[in-house]
Amino acid sequence: MKQGHGVQKLSMSYRSKRAVVSTSLVTSGVAFELVSKHSPELKAEIADWEDGRVFSLGVLPDGPSISLKKEGDRIRYLGKGYKDPKLKLLFKNIDCAHLLMTGKMSSDAAFAQHRTILHGNIVDAMQTSRAMAIVQSYLLPGSVLNKSMKRAPKMTRAQRLLKARIMATLGIAILANIRK
Amino acid sequence: MIPQYYEFYCPVKILSGLKALSNLPYEMGLLGTHKALIVTDQGVVGAGLIKLVESVFEGSQCEIGAVFDQTPPDSSIQVVREVAKLFTDEGCDCFVAVGGGSSMDTAKCANMMVTEGTDDLMNLQGVERLKKPVKPFIAVPTTAGTGSEVTVAAVIYDEKTKVKMGFTSYRLLPNVAILDPKMTVTMPPKITAATAMDALTHAVEAYYCLQKNPVSDAFAVAAIKLIVDNVIACVENGKDETARLAMANGALLAGISFSNSMVGVVHALAHACGGVCRVPHGVANGILLPWGMENNLEKAGETIAELAPLLGAAASGSPMDEARAAIQAVREIGARLKDLCGFPTTLREAGVAEGSLEAVAKAAINDGTITLNPEDVTYEVALEILRKAY
Repeated sequence: MKQGHGVQKLSMSYRSKRAVVSTSLVTSGVAFELVSKHSPELKAEIADWEDGRVFSLGVLPDGPSISLKKEGDRIRYLGKGYKDPKLKLLFKNIDCAHLLMTGKMSSDAAFAQHRTILHGNIVDAMQTSRAMAIVQSYLLPGSVLNKSMKRAPKMTRAQRLLKARIMATLGIAILANIRK
Repeated sequence: MIPQYYEFYCPVKILSGLKALSNLPYEMGLLGTHKALIVTDQGVVGAGLIKLVESVFEGSQCEIGAVFDQTPPDSSIQVVREVAKLFTDEGCDCFVAVGGGSSMDTAKCANMMVTEGTDDLMNLQGVERLKKPVKPFIAVPTTAGTGSEVTVAAVIYDEKTKVKMGFTSYRLLPNVAILDPKMTVTMPPKITAATAMDALTHAVEAYYCLQKNPVSDAFAVAAIKLIVDNVIACVENGKDETARLAMANGALLAGISFSNSMVGVVHALAHACGGVCRVPHGVANGILLPWGMENNLEKAGETIAELAPLLGAAASGSPMDEARAAIQAVREIGARLKDLCGFPTTLREAGVAEGSLEAVAKAAINDGTITLNPEDVTYEVALEILRKAY
């Protein structure tokens, strides 16, 4: 075995997984900001968070990552990378992230299967997890939510209309934030 | 059914039985250490158990560097700092925790401080933050029990920020756990009952929650059998060393089980009852266990049904019937303990004010153990369970 042997050249398979995960993370971050602007449930959920809280999602050891920040009654997408977060929700490797991001696994299953780990306080993590579930309910179709959540929320008419609005504007919002 | 993926880890060497404690200096020697810091509390000292520990060092080449006997029921960062400082100042090289969960958590956290060379554990919160092996650590439980002698977690309270800090790492597991029947015979009946119900809850929740796996299941089943078969005997006659040793083993097996498959809503609510209303952990678990099992009937009923024979419930019809029988069997254990030693079976009897239930529910949904509960637990669901248990 060579001294210090490692994979120097990334395979096409690894690079495509990385691209999928990176795109999914950016989409999640932008969606978080968008939903926080309009959803009363998400505003209520984050009302008790301290202003300025920064949290990140990322892939170990040095995979794609994003950061978000609570500002007032909203969440702002800060962009790619770790921006001095108080809390990090991390995938152990790119395969773990890919399983979740491609809908092959729910976040509860990912946690149960030790695919994700937490750096930070558990209370902050639970609050973030609930907020993410609200964002997911506006992002994913009902059939996917029924499989990925223990109990998918029953959306009101107003929530379904908001969901349609968010989906209609998400693409533009992603393009606007792609370079962040 | 084998889960899609699981992890299991328990490298703790277990010594159990007659004169097990006498092997403490020998085990320290195997770990390359010779000077122990004993971490314990006033209750253990008052029961004469530290004198037992001191006596086993006679004739050995090991010594007790210092004894810290001021561990409070809920460990705090200030206490952890004092322990870490004592360890360093006295030139100790091995932590020996003699006591319940609080002494174990204090020793685990002090070990982190000493190893990482910091007195601020804030940045170590979370999962697998330790990058170096910690100092050798031997656990001697005096309750049966929290199972902390074989778990990967520790929790302490920061009085300044009013934040409970949780740490999870395989490195926090003790090197050795010593179960000596003499260490639990002095437990009064009500504490025996409470710690037994804590252990039973560990095993039952570990068996039906989302992280269950075949290895943790094996430990859970063995634990439930030992606990159910021996808890009444231990409460009726605390001096029965055979029953006490069996209970200690049951608690240890339950600890191994839940350390590798976690717990669920019962523990989330019990932690919150402890934090908000100061209900002892084992008491809260004992009261809430049947209600938590009921909450999970729809999602995990068939799994709960498998526990019916172990819990002493007669076989009866469909899996749902058997699951309900299992829940009733748990209630009957609680009722028997109430008759024997006044163990509370409702939150009201445990001294919880009805007006506190909303605060308890709010705290419970921020507890990480909710994540692995099969059923979704919202604030409303948590409150409903608490009202039923009231």
